[in-house]
Amino acid sequence: MRKSWVFIISCIVISLIFIPSAWCKTKTIKIGINAPMTGDIPKVGEGTKYAAEMWLEDVKAAGGIAVGGKKYPVKLVIEDNESKAESAVKVNTKMITEDEVLVIVGPQASKQAIPAGEVANNYKTPMISPWSTNPDTTKDRPYVFRGCFLDPFQGPVLANFIKGEFGFTKAAVLYDVASDYPKGLAEFFKQAWEKLNGPGSVVAFESFTTKDADFSSQLTKIIKSGAQVLFTPQYYNEVALIVQQAHELGWNKPIVGSDSWGSAETVQLCGKDCYGLFFSTHYAAAGAKGKTKEFIDRYNKKYGYVPDDVAALTWDSLGIVKTAIEHVGKLTGNIEKDRKNVRDAMAKVKEYDGITGKMTFTEDGDPIKCAVIVRISNKGEYEFYKSVCP
Amino acid sequence: MNEEYGKIIGITHSIKRKARSLFSEVPLLGWLFGMLIAVILERYVGEALAESLGLSKIPMLFGVVMMLKNPLMIPSTVLYLFTIFVLPISVVARLISGPANRVAAKLLDLPILISVIIHIGLLYAVLYLWSEASAYRVLTLKLTLIAVILTLSLNVVNGYMGEFSCSHPGFMALGAYAASVFTVVLFVDDKLFGHALLPAALAPFMFPIALIIGGIVAAFGALVIAIPSFRTRGDYLAIISLAFMFIVKSMIENLEVVGGPRGLSSQPDLASLPTVFIWTVACIWVTNNFVRSTMGKALNAVRDDEVAANAMTVNTRRTKITAFLFAAFWAGVAGGLFAHVLRYVNPGTFGLQKLAEVLAMVYFGGLNSVYGSIVGGVSLSMLGEALRPLEIFKWIIIPLLLILIMIYRPTGLVAFKEFNVGKLVMPKNKSDQRKSDGAASG
Repeated sequence: MRKSWVFIISCIVISLIFIPSAWCKTKTIKIGINAPMTGDIPKVGEGTKYAAEMWLEDVKAAGGIAVGGKKYPVKLVIEDNESKAESAVKVNTKMITEDEVLVIVGPQASKQAIPAGEVANNYKTPMISPWSTNPDTTKDRPYVFRGCFLDPFQGPVLANFIKGEFGFTKAAVLYDVASDYPKGLAEFFKQAWEKLNGPGSVVAFESFTTKDADFSSQLTKIIKSGAQVLFTPQYYNEVALIVQQAHELGWNKPIVGSDSWGSAETVQLCGKDCYGLFFSTHYAAAGAKGKTKEFIDRYNKKYGYVPDDVAALTWDSLGIVKTAIEHVGKLTGNIEKDRKNVRDAMAKVKEYDGITGKMTFTEDGDPIKCAVIVRISNKGEYEFYKSVCP
Repeated sequence: MNEEYGKIIGITHSIKRKARSLFSEVPLLGWLFGMLIAVILERYVGEALAESLGLSKIPMLFGVVMMLKNPLMIPSTVLYLFTIFVLPISVVARLISGPANRVAAKLLDLPILISVIIHIGLLYAVLYLWSEASAYRVLTLKLTLIAVILTLSLNVVNGYMGEFSCSHPGFMALGAYAASVFTVVLFVDDKLFGHALLPAALAPFMFPIALIIGGIVAAFGALVIAIPSFRTRGDYLAIISLAFMFIVKSMIENLEVVGGPRGLSSQPDLASLPTVFIWTVACIWVTNNFVRSTMGKALNAVRDDEVAANAMTVNTRRTKITAFLFAAFWAGVAGGLFAHVLRYVNPGTFGLQKLAEVLAMVYFGGLNSVYGSIVGGVSLSMLGEALRPLEIFKWIIIPLLLILIMIYRPTGLVAFKEFNVGKLVMPKNKSDQRKSDGAASG
């Protein structure tokens, strides 16, 4: 009996020794990152995390963010949302109520950003989703912003580009009906194309379901339909399969894609089949100049690959957050007031000069910015081809 | 060396024995009262204590997240948990075990329902006070309770009936969408369905109806697969039910009316903590009665030997279909609650990942057991939440735990154990027990 008491008491004493002495509390600015580190799209989570860490390095080197002549240290709270809607909601709730973050960056995919945006808006915490293109994410939510252009903008951009560049009148579309991003974009493209070329000018509008790997029946239909161009707004893993199978079936006309092609993996998986194809995106890595090049080179040196659009957009979103915080004027220490001030400052950001273009927010919290048309070069690089502004 | 080891074993054994003899006479009432004291204590002195220990905030999920994020915090977090939870709960429970036993015995003189309601009321008070500290705790608690409903309903099929059904996410999706459409059409100005038909003030009263509609739609879906598939058993049912899950998912994806793959949002905020709690208690109560009824015993007979059960005049087909529809109903209710907690549903949520989660909860907790479902649902959802900072390693640790459970306890942690409410609320010391036994028999 006595021995057990000695054991317990010694445990407590030892633990007391290790307790860090009451530290002096300096006010830090906490920024939450809600990213899919595990689950369906871990590569997106990785890009987000790396970009955020690089950004933090810069801020640390500058001694923190200067607000009203005083520098505040910055801390990132990176949480994994497992690429699930309910986890994204939990993570947002936790970061807002527990970690007391000032601003949240993320989640990336729309299926998480829509419910998570609801939480952020309810708790009056500014949130900026770098990559979510669904209009619902920011709609009627004064506290939610995004860092990229929307599908209703991208669809017409691509339709106009194809019309202007090739002069085609008949297009085919192949998309994933079970995934909200490709489906939405496919519909917006169809609308815009039919507006340009009259009803019935989309001669084939074929769909498949997520994780399908054989597209031969859809592609055969598309080839028979007499389409002059194929538009497929898919993610990198499907792009490779679709393009390769189309070429095997004898398709030799252009294939055009959207910003979801922008991952570094697309060319690795697709190889020579993808050379010479066009897609619209947020920025072009090859032939980039100035700040954009600086970012790409630094990222490439540090992590060993060319950053994709997610990393670039996250970088810009964090940049906007920083600008907004700097323009607040003064941090009151009352987190609710500060959050509101940051939101107001963010809504007022004008012509923010980011690496993915100049941005100004509309009333809905969506940026007005230019899209870039990229051509995959014969070396497999993403070359700048054309810039399309609204 | 060996001697030392033996000594340590001896000490731990003696501590165990001591602890057991100290606490064996504490009734459930005493434990609940102890927890109540602990959460009240946390509410009033938690923040001050956390600050004096150098913690930035009260540790939310028992400090696991805090400890994983910053290992230096382990000692102070452990100390905090010890002073706020372990110490008060054990001291109070031990000190009031005498009076608590007498009260428990007195309560047994009244109808057992009153005693049960008092226990549940105390439990709710504990959970309410615990979760009041932050919205994060409330959200985690709600999702955990929903996981318990879901696990329990799947256990009826996979445990009590002994089939392997994979369609639970499908039922959940049906319930979630049916309940959401009901509430959104009636109470929300929405771009998909137009203006609200009824004033929003009525919403809380109509919410149970929404959930029941969700349950019924799910049960109807179950009927659709039950009729053709219950001519088969084992693997075939597993495949058919898996197919059903994909059919539901892809049906919703192609239904533009409910938003297709973009999902359905703007459900009214109706699933408050008391609502979810009441539905969870109702589910546990109804399911427990169901599996202990003649029908439940018939179900076990069908599982063990269908031919023999048939010979013993059990209508096997009816039994199986009833149980299957019953399970689907509760999965639908869980789906409805889930949709109103998140206030957004999309078909992608109800896929293979959800299926794996629910199956893991059932097999982790224990087959054929209401206790097991509660244990499985609570522990896996809490674990998933607490280990979040580990990122990818979380998906190594949780499956590893499952493998270990499957090796050492192949049917789960608390399998084949009956959930006896009467025994649970009984006084735990001999004299009061005898008294109440006498009262009960006399």
